[in-house]
Amino acid sequence: MDELPVALALLLVACAGTAAVATRDPVRQSLVLGVLGLALALLFTVLQAPDVALSQLAVGTALTPLMVLLSVRKVRRKARSERREEHE
Amino acid sequence: MNGWLAAACALLVLGLLPALAAACTGPVLRRVLAQNLTTVLTALVLLLLAQGYARPAYGDLALVLAVLGPAGTLVFERLLAEELAASPARTPFQRLMGLAGTAAVPPVVLALAVVTDPGRATVKLLLTGCLLLAGSAVCTRALTAAWGR
Repeated sequence: MDELPVALALLLVACAGTAAVATRDPVRQSLVLGVLGLALALLFTVLQAPDVALSQLAVGTALTPLMVLLSVRKVRRKARSERREEHE
Repeated sequence: MNGWLAAACALLVLGLLPALAAACTGPVLRRVLAQNLTTVLTALVLLLLAQGYARPAYGDLALVLAVLGPAGTLVFERLLAEELAASPARTPFQRLMGLAGTAAVPPVVLALAVVTDPGRATVKLLLTGCLLLAGSAVCTRALTAAWGR
């Protein structure tokens, strides 16, 4: 019975990971990625590793989605300007 | 396994799994709202785990998440502004999610504040609760405003 939190956290991580892989659009994927980071932080806490969970929170909640979204934005802008050049 | 851990498990199954499902499907506004809800619920689960394992230091995780979580949601709000403005009107389900993000905080935090010995731990707990409430309210309001634009 003591292992129930661990099992549930593992289940959550598995679901979030599968969902992150199954989402095709990068923008929507970054949202699921944020949830996966939170699930991993929970798993680390349940496994008595709060230091790892702390760094996971710091990186996973704001930094990873920000970098993904910024790169998507840059790529899209580049594609748009190239298309405009082709028209001209 | 004590009652606090059982409560954390219940919140994980009944709160986080549905929120994850909502974050994987539907329009962008619903996904971002679900992400915000996930942040709040995770912080509450962390607080309950800290009490369940009798390790007050684990509460720091919830405090960090209460500060960083809204920042993450606001990042999404800022960079997805165009898609949010184009997404369809708010449904009652989305309003419920925004409400759940704020309504779930006071019961958990107050229950924990009652059992902790008065002192610095109580202050930290209440501070975490206030940050969670404020962050969730700000994010929900910002998302709603982004949709109306």
